[in-house]
Amino acid sequence: MSAWSELASQRLPRSEGPWAWLAAGSVALSLLMLGGLLLLIAVRGLGHFWPAGVVQLELEDGRALAGRVVRELPLEQGERERLYYTANRDLDGQVWHWLAVSDIVASERPRDLLVLERRFHGEFIGRLVEVGSVDFPDPTSTATADWNALQASLAELQALRSERDRLRREQLRPLIQQLDADPRDAQARRELAAVNERVRALQHAMQGKVAILESADGRRLVQPLDEILRAWRPNAMTTGEKLTAWARGVWRFLSEGPRDGNTAGGVWPAIFGTVLMVLLMSLLVAPFGVLAAVYLNEVAHQGRLTNLVRISVRNLAGVPSIVYGVFGLGVFVYGVGGSLDEWFFSDELPSPTFGTGGLLWASLTLALLTLPVVIVATEEGLARIPVQQREGALALGATRFETLTRVILPMTVPAMLTGVILAIARAAGEVAPLMLVGVAKLAPQVPVDAEFPFLHLERKFMHLGYHIYDTAFHGNDVQAALPLVYATALLLIGVILVLNLTAIFLRHYFRTRHGYVPRQ
Amino acid sequence: MITWGNSPGWHRLRQACLGVILVLLAASARSEMPAGTLGIVGSDTMAGLMLRWGEQLSDRHPGIRLQLQASGSASAVPALTAGTTRLGPMSRPMSEAERRAFQERHGYAVVEVEVARDALAVIVHRHLELATLSLEALDAIFSTTRHCGASQAITRWDQLGVASRVGRIELHGRNPASGSHGLFLQRALCAGEYSPRLNEHPGSAAVVAAVTENRAAIGYAGLNHLTPGVKAIALKDEYGQRHEPDAEQVRGGDYPLSRSLFVYVNLPPGKAITGPEGALLDLILSPEGQRTVAGQGFITLADEVLAAQRQRLGLDVAAP
Amino acid sequence: MIEPPHPFSPSRSRWRRQRDRLATGLIALGGIVVVLAVLAIGVFLVVEVLPALLGGQLDTQRVFASLTPMAWGTLKAALWAMLFSVPLALGAAIHSSMFMSQRLRSRMKPTLELMEALPGVVVGFIAGLVMAPWVERHLAGTLTLLLLLPLGVLLAGGVWRRLSPAWRRWFSLSRAGLWLVPWLALLVMAAFALSPWLERLLVDGDLRVWLDREMGIDYASRNAMIVGVAMGFAVIPSIYALAEDALSGVPGGLGEGAHALGATRWQTLWKVVLPAAAPGIFAAVMIGAGRAVGETMIVLMASGNTALMSLSPFEGMRSMAAGIVVELPEAVPGSEAYVMLMLAALLLFLFTFLVNTLAEVVRSRLRRRYRWLGVAP
Repeated sequence: MSAWSELASQRLPRSEGPWAWLAAGSVALSLLMLGGLLLLIAVRGLGHFWPAGVVQLELEDGRALAGRVVRELPLEQGERERLYYTANRDLDGQVWHWLAVSDIVASERPRDLLVLERRFHGEFIGRLVEVGSVDFPDPTSTATADWNALQASLAELQALRSERDRLRREQLRPLIQQLDADPRDAQARRELAAVNERVRALQHAMQGKVAILESADGRRLVQPLDEILRAWRPNAMTTGEKLTAWARGVWRFLSEGPRDGNTAGGVWPAIFGTVLMVLLMSLLVAPFGVLAAVYLNEVAHQGRLTNLVRISVRNLAGVPSIVYGVFGLGVFVYGVGGSLDEWFFSDELPSPTFGTGGLLWASLTLALLTLPVVIVATEEGLARIPVQQREGALALGATRFETLTRVILPMTVPAMLTGVILAIARAAGEVAPLMLVGVAKLAPQVPVDAEFPFLHLERKFMHLGYHIYDTAFHGNDVQAALPLVYATALLLIGVILVLNLTAIFLRHYFRTRHGYVPRQ
Repeated sequence: MITWGNSPGWHRLRQACLGVILVLLAASARSEMPAGTLGIVGSDTMAGLMLRWGEQLSDRHPGIRLQLQASGSASAVPALTAGTTRLGPMSRPMSEAERRAFQERHGYAVVEVEVARDALAVIVHRHLELATLSLEALDAIFSTTRHCGASQAITRWDQLGVASRVGRIELHGRNPASGSHGLFLQRALCAGEYSPRLNEHPGSAAVVAAVTENRAAIGYAGLNHLTPGVKAIALKDEYGQRHEPDAEQVRGGDYPLSRSLFVYVNLPPGKAITGPEGALLDLILSPEGQRTVAGQGFITLADEVLAAQRQRLGLDVAAP
Repeated sequence: MIEPPHPFSPSRSRWRRQRDRLATGLIALGGIVVVLAVLAIGVFLVVEVLPALLGGQLDTQRVFASLTPMAWGTLKAALWAMLFSVPLALGAAIHSSMFMSQRLRSRMKPTLELMEALPGVVVGFIAGLVMAPWVERHLAGTLTLLLLLPLGVLLAGGVWRRLSPAWRRWFSLSRAGLWLVPWLALLVMAAFALSPWLERLLVDGDLRVWLDREMGIDYASRNAMIVGVAMGFAVIPSIYALAEDALSGVPGGLGEGAHALGATRWQTLWKVVLPAAAPGIFAAVMIGAGRAVGETMIVLMASGNTALMSLSPFEGMRSMAAGIVVELPEAVPGSEAYVMLMLAALLLFLFTFLVNTLAEVVRSRLRRRYRWLGVAP
């Protein structure tokens, strides 16, 4: 086939007519759509972490604003309007301003504009007036000195904060657990009081300082320093500094939990949940999938019935994932989970333990969903093994089981791996069934912790795919969450692409190693 | 101490029992700092609010750890009734049947604490020239039944006198599983039926996003979801009174689509609330806790309501 | 891999035989259990639905009344998705199997298959929150695009014929899938730049007003066209992969024969290869339809979920899969809504299972036919 098409292309090509061009066009259009989508997600997702400059605006009616442009839309009669992100939720009650472009009189980028990321009320955009203690503001300070002072105080605070978090994590938590277990433990109670005192002292030390801030239109704000997470002056940053800040932003996105109703912070719990769920799923799906494939291909009598079962299993790969979700909800959650609760956790009823969606049921459902993928891939691998290999082993006196474990299965390992990786890639992107069997909007506790029994299979978990859906549709403010949704989508696509490429590579490796020998 | 628990069930059981003992202990030694694990089961609308309060609480009392399970208002009732939690946040009032179930199990009534107010705002695109709608017209727009008394269905903007827009009104709302869907159905459609043209979005934020982008759209969403991209319009009641969805009208309950957010408490009559639960309620009903309410986009309670509830719970009336 | 044979001892060989029997039995047992577990899905759905429906406690009329718009919407969404994806996927399959060089094809196939790896939730998010508002603002541009893209491709073909042979070899048809991409991107920009002018010229100013006034067509921002494009995008790769397999599996002798008789490649394709591969292409389309019917997140996020029963591409719909995913967690087991959603799941299951079985049967027939033609697939 290819030979003659290559031969043909060596001659002077004749006209193939319009349809051939339309066919070529559909390849191009598919590529364009794929490329466009990936580009859009990559640019928006990665661009979010860039510390973009802020502009100060003067409006026709005399108002002043500072913020950054988010988008621009046409109005009627050729006018345009812009959406500015102006932050300062505590001053304005909102973080957005829609402005008609014709209302803007002047716009500049002063170097002293400052952006603060705060624990409450989101970001602040404005100017720093001074840094001082709550009681004795220092009237002599200058703006530059204060910027440096702010940086120094923030670094100091960061040290105190990490000390406090360490105390909480390493001393307070174990003590509370100890007290939960034995409330009469007077020693622990005394220790708890002492640690509490130290934490309080640290917190008190953190609360000492304030920054006095001024918004672009001159309103003053007293901001306790311990509520400030980060401060930067985007207009005064060099490209190198911005790059560093960008890299830090990406890292925070990957390593922190979500804040502010999922509109800020990172997606670490979702990454963790996705990976853990997928791992559990592959632990379930790999042995069972291989078992079923070996049965169908090596053990079962190759008759009409086996063929029928094989076709059915293949077809189950085409059944929509949501149907598996319904099955998971009905059988695992309501059926098995409900019975487990009645037998083992009856004292907790009517609040369910396993009778509600959770990590275990989600992994089981996805394992069922991806079982056909693994079975088909493994069967394909088994079918590729030359009959001579089997016959050779049997002729040397090996039993069927020995042939299987010593000869056939080792040769099928790459096919199994391909199957499992394809299963993982499919499972990582599935969201719909999870919404029925255990994904959560916000699970501040990851399902693995230091508390016995360490892996909490009954807990709900966060998931990257569901995080996208939830943030985009259930959050407080879609516009504010959009950049994070893009970033999460990019991350999810990245994870899935890597998994798929691994599968493609493995398949390639496996074909070149064992060659293609069809089963007789 | 880990030795005698070897399954999650044992652990939970142990925690539940010892939580009760701890509360008793804390009650006996009131001067001590409240400490322990505070488990809360309930509404997902209020999840953000509860989480923020939890953060503040552990700032105040580092010994308290919050475990939040936000799986919907309906999940609060069985947990309260069974005694697995003492606090149940709910975005709707408990029904008679649910109250009765609690009373039968515990022998006393559940205590209702109002913690914030919320409302559904009717929203249109920010540049649409429409400021007020009567409740009748709202029903005529959204329903096919018109139980609120309108004589004819409204499907086009020119029927509402909006000169700049021609064409159909695009309807946006929530899916049937949500509380907003039910509230709007009862209050705005007089328990009628929604028009099949309604776009049923799975979240309030999606409604706001859709209306932000479309000049022909009208929708409804919770107050805490509003952005400057949309305009909340005032509603005119049957007496011709105009109600803006602003803090004052919502706090007083005059705005027709307003509702309360509650925390239900398992508290025997005559007792004061103490321990971690007491600390949390103390925070919620304090000016600081109410600032969080405002920060999350909900409406704070009136000072009298706060004071009255503090008294009922046996909390220090002069808030810190 | 195989150890040297041990000296035989009777007891050892008996033990080995027993172990072999035991292990084989266990594998058989495990395999049967797994296969049964997978097949249990259909049984479970039937058991949940039938007794409740036949038991007479529920108002079956109401169950069917709320199911009808969902079933309608599901089929409507699938229909529009297929209208978008089938021409594109088949065109791409034809081009890559008939015109591309082996090397390029081995790169192109995995690339297009990567489209399948894009999770539905990402495509749905882009469709619902980015594309729907964009198309709503640029409706005229989008419709211009539908016209301009095919015309532009044909124009490229026409210009190509006027080129000198050297240029023609450089911009060869076998690489057209690549070099047309920037040209199409240009066309897209041109369509959006031209559309206001076209709007003024043809429909005096505003297409949506004109549609409403002259044709009585209502444009909803969440509509079947958006869903069709987004879901079409998601099913293109599966149709493409299967159709491409079917086309390139046609024994080479057939095509070579036609070619030797002086047919162009397109004539060869149309008269010889396509008829031979038709069952495989049919199977590909069926499997694509199965996917489109069951796709959940895209419809959930882009369809608007309206209970309308129309065929209009500019109006929304509600699908069974999306209905299940938002309503089922709240439905009380045994209630009317629960049974209705379970019935929807059963319908989805039956539909996709039957469609896939049909496709599988057709494909195995095809494989036999190729074997009969003398060349292994």
